Amino acid sequence: MAQGRTGKINYRCPHCLFRAIDYDLLYDRNADQYYCRRCNWEGSEMEILADYSVYKQQYRHMLKRWTVDSIIAKDE
Amino acid sequence: MDKFILNVIHRPELVPEYINTDALEGQKEEVGKGEVVSESLDIFRLQQEIAHQNGIRCTIQMTYASLFNEEAIALAKADHEKYGDEIGHTFLGVQCKEFREKYHSKELAVWLLPWDMKTRLVHDTFARFNEVFGFYPTSTGSYFMDAELINYIKKHYPMVKIAVAACFEEGPKVFRHTNNTWYTLLDGGPWTAWVPSKKCSHAIAENAEDDSGIVAVPHLSRDLLGVMDNAGDMFGTHPQNIIRGLAYEDDRLPFMYNLVDQYQVMKKYNKGFSYNLVYVGPGWMGKSGRWECSYRVLKKSYEDFLGYYGELKKAGKVEDMTMTEFSDWYRHNKAINEPICGLWKDTLFGTKNQCFWYADSQFRIQVDLKLGGAITDIRPYASKLERPCGAGTPANQDASYPYIVHSRYRGGPFTHYAGEGAIKSAKIRHGSEEVDLSACRSTGRYEEGEGYRRLIVNPVEIEFNALTVKIGTSYTFWENTGRIEITRKVLEMSDPAEIVEIDEYLTSCWGTNEYPEDLTGCTLSVTGRDGLRNELNYEYRCRDLHAEAVQKVEAIIPMVQTKASMTPMSDDCRGYCEEGYSFAPNLKIGLVRTVGLGGELNVTFKIERA
Repeated sequence: MAQGRTGKINYRCPHCLFRAIDYDLLYDRNADQYYCRRCNWEGSEMEILADYSVYKQQYRHMLKRWTVDSIIAKDE
Repeated sequence: MDKFILNVIHRPELVPEYINTDALEGQKEEVGKGEVVSESLDIFRLQQEIAHQNGIRCTIQMTYASLFNEEAIALAKADHEKYGDEIGHTFLGVQCKEFREKYHSKELAVWLLPWDMKTRLVHDTFARFNEVFGFYPTSTGSYFMDAELINYIKKHYPMVKIAVAACFEEGPKVFRHTNNTWYTLLDGGPWTAWVPSKKCSHAIAENAEDDSGIVAVPHLSRDLLGVMDNAGDMFGTHPQNIIRGLAYEDDRLPFMYNLVDQYQVMKKYNKGFSYNLVYVGPGWMGKSGRWECSYRVLKKSYEDFLGYYGELKKAGKVEDMTMTEFSDWYRHNKAINEPICGLWKDTLFGTKNQCFWYADSQFRIQVDLKLGGAITDIRPYASKLERPCGAGTPANQDASYPYIVHSRYRGGPFTHYAGEGAIKSAKIRHGSEEVDLSACRSTGRYEEGEGYRRLIVNPVEIEFNALTVKIGTSYTFWENTGRIEITRKVLEMSDPAEIVEIDEYLTSCWGTNEYPEDLTGCTLSVTGRDGLRNELNYEYRCRDLHAEAVQKVEAIIPMVQTKASMTPMSDDCRGYCEEGYSFAPNLKIGLVRTVGLGGELNVTFKIERA
């Protein structure tokens, strides 16, 4: 099997991300696949991006702007 | 007072922590590699330009390596001349050819060096700074500086007035986040500016005698709610950290503005003062991007972020200062033992969650409002623990200030199968039923007065089978006394003739991380109103003591030189203490009062040095 390398984009393992660990993936050129050296995740770029979008669901106000006034008014 | 102060710090770090890792992928290590140095200086130059374009003056913290680089020195001198930037010093970025040759070490963290190397580096780098610039720096910093290092610097270089002395809640959670390789185990300090104690830099100084002589600031200003159950390195005044946490879409990061705005709100809780520190190392804006994020977005996020401060400055809502200017301002406007506090609200996760933080010279307290206002983190600053860190010390890498309650590291309101987790809360009982207030989600309000700050937990409703009870809670923090007055009041009852029991308790332990530490040698005591004091020494034997009419319950944890006690304000309370056992390694003290409608339990909870 080929040597794993950092991919063109340095993705982090999505499953490690879910348990709050930043762990860089390696890319296997022959298999056209990313894999994690810590956990049992392997997959494609599309799968990484899909998992990232799930990860972001924890930030339900990720695109919401809270200003000084709205923060003061919030739940008081 | 109406003052929101900003410090922006840049450092010409010639071998940036992250950029170097990327550059070295698959290659033999080469410290000070030409292209890395060149890129790093480009990033530094860019950061400076972005700040100046927005009318913001900076503090340039010269690294050890940059003091040997003519270009970095020239850049600093030029920006000092043209924009009035302060040329300061940092212990970050020591790694370079000169350091390797002189110290024969790959250590990058000053606080972890053996003492002889620490002191040698202090003189070496300060002398070099003076040689280069013709004066000594008045500001310095690192990710962490213990009291011993601060005292040493202050003794030999008394002109130093301010230091970046810690990273707020950069501890076990961040360690885990970095695959257990980022040794900033620094939990337990203040989240905004403070005067550190001579004995322990995490702790706010007691008085002039205890004043270390500097103002300390945290490495970044972090989201006080985000850090509670997450690694803090994703939620700070550092756009690329927010990107690291994936709290962005395309190039939009509204959370970074929310954070700044919430820090403006903090003026409300701190006598009109609030503070932000922005400190982005060049490794976070590398041309090859950072993790999944492109250089374009990294750069734009920094432009947008400083652009926002620039807008606030134009509107008169923020004042940019250099670090030394800020230390002078702080000394003229704030007390040595100035309490700090804040009611913080969620602006990211989309919840109603709030938390309240309070710190003064006696303790740092975190209240989690979604747990009915339970206290979920206590750092007993009263003991001013002398805990030097670094090679050759007992603490070594573990530079955190120990807790006596930590509900996330040590269980809190929820345990699997047995025992009780560490928390300060209350239970309400009716007949054979019992409800812990930590099961009653709430929010809070803030009040202040002469010598006190008060958190009022909005009333919660408890539903027993045949009775509904509304309970109000308030915490009054008497500044710098170690005393918190806790009031639990029965505000409403579905049957006014009924009675309930209120059990105010503390389940405590000690440590700096998730693992239990030995409690053998702790003592628990119950003192009756008759003056009779019963005591037990902790041996994991699951014993307990009671008094029908109690004067005081007390726990002494000698490992952290701390005494925690509760005293009722009425004479009809029962008291108890409970020793834990090995599967439930905690100790517990509690006060119980039976009350009807309108009745209350008032307790003085005190933390002091033992």
